[in-house]
Amino acid sequence: MSASGTIDSGIANREPHAPEATLDRPADYLHAQSTLRSWFLTTDHKRIAILYLASITAFFIIGAVAAGVVRLALVVPNGAVMANDTYNKAFTIHGVVMVWFFLIPSIPATFGNFLIPLMIGAKDLAFPKLNLTSWYVFMTGALFTMVSVVLGGIDTGWTFYAPLSTAFSNGWVLPALIGVTIVGFSSILTGLNFVVTIHTMRAPGMTWFKLPIFVWTHYATSLIFLLATPVITTALILLIMERAFHIGVFDPAYGGDPVLFQHLFWFYSHPAVYIMVLPGMGVISEIIPAFAQKKLFGYRFVAYAAIGLASVTFFVWGHHMFINGQSDLASLAFSALSFAVAVPSAVKVYNWTATIHKGKLRLDTPMLYAMGYIGLFVLGGLTGLYLATLAINQHIHATYFVVAHFHYIMVGGTVLAFLGGLHFWWPKFTGRMYNEAWGRISALLIFLGFNVTFFPQFILGYLGMPRRYATYPPEFQMLNVLSSAGATILAAGYIFPMLYLVYSLWFGRKAPVNPWDAKGLEWETTSPPPTLNFASPPEVPRVPYDYPIQEQETKAQHR
Amino acid sequence: MTPKHAALELWPAAASAVAVETDYLILAFTVLTLVLTVPVFLAITWFAIRYRDGQEANRDTSGIRSNLIEISWMLIPFLLTLIFFVWGARLFVISKNPPPDAMVIEAIGRQWMWKFQHPTGQSEINDLHVPMGQPIKLRIISQDVIHALYLPALRVQMAALPDRYTELWFKADKPGTFHLYCSEYCGTDHSAMEGSLTILSQGDYQDWLTHSGAQQSKVAAGKAIYNAYGCGTCHDDGSNVQAPKLAGLYGRAVRLADGRTITADEDYLRDKIRNPNGNRLAEGYKQIMPSFAGVIPEDDLGRLIDFLKSNTRTVGDAASGEATR
Amino acid sequence: MSTGLADGVGIKRAHHFETVAQQRYAATLGIWAWLITELLLFAALFLVALIVRIQHPEATQEAARHLKFWIGAVNTVVLIVSSLTMSMAIEFSRIGWQRAMVRAMLATAALGSLFLVLKGYEYYADYEEHMMPFLGSRPYELTASPASRLFVNLYYVATLLHGLHLLTGISLLLGMTWIASKAGFLSRHQNWIEIYGLYWHFIDLIWIMAFPILYVVNR
Repeated sequence: MSASGTIDSGIANREPHAPEATLDRPADYLHAQSTLRSWFLTTDHKRIAILYLASITAFFIIGAVAAGVVRLALVVPNGAVMANDTYNKAFTIHGVVMVWFFLIPSIPATFGNFLIPLMIGAKDLAFPKLNLTSWYVFMTGALFTMVSVVLGGIDTGWTFYAPLSTAFSNGWVLPALIGVTIVGFSSILTGLNFVVTIHTMRAPGMTWFKLPIFVWTHYATSLIFLLATPVITTALILLIMERAFHIGVFDPAYGGDPVLFQHLFWFYSHPAVYIMVLPGMGVISEIIPAFAQKKLFGYRFVAYAAIGLASVTFFVWGHHMFINGQSDLASLAFSALSFAVAVPSAVKVYNWTATIHKGKLRLDTPMLYAMGYIGLFVLGGLTGLYLATLAINQHIHATYFVVAHFHYIMVGGTVLAFLGGLHFWWPKFTGRMYNEAWGRISALLIFLGFNVTFFPQFILGYLGMPRRYATYPPEFQMLNVLSSAGATILAAGYIFPMLYLVYSLWFGRKAPVNPWDAKGLEWETTSPPPTLNFASPPEVPRVPYDYPIQEQETKAQHR
Repeated sequence: MTPKHAALELWPAAASAVAVETDYLILAFTVLTLVLTVPVFLAITWFAIRYRDGQEANRDTSGIRSNLIEISWMLIPFLLTLIFFVWGARLFVISKNPPPDAMVIEAIGRQWMWKFQHPTGQSEINDLHVPMGQPIKLRIISQDVIHALYLPALRVQMAALPDRYTELWFKADKPGTFHLYCSEYCGTDHSAMEGSLTILSQGDYQDWLTHSGAQQSKVAAGKAIYNAYGCGTCHDDGSNVQAPKLAGLYGRAVRLADGRTITADEDYLRDKIRNPNGNRLAEGYKQIMPSFAGVIPEDDLGRLIDFLKSNTRTVGDAASGEATR
Repeated sequence: MSTGLADGVGIKRAHHFETVAQQRYAATLGIWAWLITELLLFAALFLVALIVRIQHPEATQEAARHLKFWIGAVNTVVLIVSSLTMSMAIEFSRIGWQRAMVRAMLATAALGSLFLVLKGYEYYADYEEHMMPFLGSRPYELTASPASRLFVNLYYVATLLHGLHLLTGISLLLGMTWIASKAGFLSRHQNWIEIYGLYWHFIDLIWIMAFPILYVVNR
């Protein structure tokens, strides 16, 4: 085969096939092969997505149990339920597991993995073997961290601040640090795969501005994976060297600067918030148009907002350190820049709301999650601005206000989007329909339980209760008991979907190709899709979100 | 010890002008939050009812999808919030620039206690007494990990770093006793690293200085020191380290390894802490305790001994949790 | 890159790509994305080195005087020459001279190994000079200036991380050379050589940044 000959036949020259050309459908990806080996050595992006889904569900359960322990301890103010060390380990495990082993991979590694090739009309990701590798890398990192948990846990907080983590903590810090470092490489490989796939694997006619917002937000997320993760890898390597071999650069005993670690840590960990938030925004941007049967309002603005958020997020890390001795000028600059995050966030929220306006709404489970998401994300986002305001930050920094704020973003945002997306694409993933009534009940329970759990924490924070306290002054008990009570409702809301979704795998109604009348290439193929995604190359629609109800495109007309 | 608060108080006490203005700032911000969010919540709810599938409704889109709308909802909320940036920054700059006549109190954090040193030489553990109407600058440093000193009634906090001094200043204007916390997670007994801030009138403060604190606060301070230096790890009743238990030790007769018997008086305790491996080892124990000479400052050693003297029964229970360092 | 390939040189299309051009584009973009990530990994280290220097200029200079400038300089030359031999291997692969390509690759691996040997000797000299402060058994030379430890520690982390990359690179190169010496390699996997070449140049580039940042500016 002459290379020069094949090069000339570029991507655009691919032969068009008629959609009905192949009638004998190949077996779907779930049933194509059934051996254990065919799962653990698969290079099919859809099967790898399922592997991730199973793994992160397990980590979610571990993290949730740790959260339960935390809430149990805080029912009484005097620490009578458990020793301080036990409490400290519980909240550290909760943070480490939830952030690194659930939230960061949650939507990208499962839905992103499954849907990006489908949405852009490709047969697979650009590097299928690399995709499988990144799952194994993820599991290796998880193994190290779990070793630390099993041996006795860690008590440094998920932030691993030096010199507590390097010289003072007695916990199993080293395996946890190594695990988290390894997991970073898994993120990088996934991000790399997505970037290359979105650049090179789009079907003929799938231009950038026909891509669903889900793909745009994953592109933005992948850029953060690639550009921010290496910095925390460096920071963690330095931490590991310091703890294991005393090759330290943060050690204050020699004039080292522990705040430098915080800079490196937050240079990654603030963008990491957007690794968690952006994919969720992508999910919501798919669900709302489908259940309003209306084109997404302001498509280009929403797409640009994703890239805007991913860019701004690299310049605001210092707002985590207003009271940590950074220069006042730096604090002023980081505070001002943090307010800029409000712009792209507002774009998203208002455009979603405008999409619902004059739509034809069906309030099915995914839509309930999406509407809950908007409410909680708005509250979480605006309380973020409280924290970015310097004078307010001096009071509520490191109090329960912060805890409430980031749970509104991460649970109210990411977890609701994850659950909404899980219900939305469940028919596509599994070929089965879940029970709609149970779905709605659980969605309402989660929304209620979440607010009862976390709203009191805003008040606790403003009243001045510091976070990470195993014991606390008795006047805060009432609100803490309320919060713990909410957590039990939330737990019920999480348990129901696990039960009825698993039930539906065997007993659910068979799913049609497109149960929601949704637009997007993933709804063109069978449920579940065949191994190579499309029986015949899909036809790319004229515009993205080609729903029955559309705003007129003539912008100049009504100026 | 614990300042009195109502069980369900929804607004924290404010004890300085800056704290009061911070409250106004947060109240105003809350109003803005409501202005920005309530319309969105109402709109979503209204649309969900009005435009539900099956409802008769006018779904003709008006076509006013102009960039003007997009830009206005991008910029108007942003500009409104910027007002708060400026306001917050102004307060922040004030709180970063102490007046030159501020009285300097040294604050030292260590796992897990605070020590405050007044300019006249008096020091106190975990509690801080300050005069009203006088600008006070805290010079803060840590002896081990990063801590942070948080005074909620004054709406301020500042990190205590191990490698350099940080500063925090305030001018309290309301007498009373308020909480004082460590707000940067610092290990096992992070939540025990708390105390109280007592704001006194000038006269009361002078009075407090001359009496250098009440008697019971000395014992409490000694207890904090006992915990902070990890004495309980070996010497608590529940400890499984082979070390003499200290509960009820003071004043008792101790049999030494060389057969002598002496009374555990103040000198004996002081000596054993400074030079545990001297020739007065208690019978049945090995020489494993490190010397604390030069590690515990003289004033803290005094407090520790006050604590050991004070309670003949409950020394072992005093260490809350298991101090592990 | 898309031109100048001899007949019988090219790549075999993997099942999930539509065209060879698409596959080639994906591979090139992939390696560049990876290299940017790697660059940031080292950039963070170098940034820390510069911050340590700004915070403790005298101590850093004192520590840097113990670095073996000439070994570093020779190593820089060794790596630049190895980049040259790697470029030759790429050129040979494009025109289909498989035997010459394999020899150029072996030369590259040899030069990379020479770098590691020299680096190892440098570590040994550091050990002899008591410049390993983290070794409890060997008292540190510059105890009078504690902050110098920060720079020395950072020097070890940076050079070890670079050495690890080089070691990985040499292993990959040798493995690939073994595969590439078989018949028909160039008609199936010519772009492996191109992709790998970028990685090798990258390792070279990192050293070219590390040498001035660690050895030169602190003298």
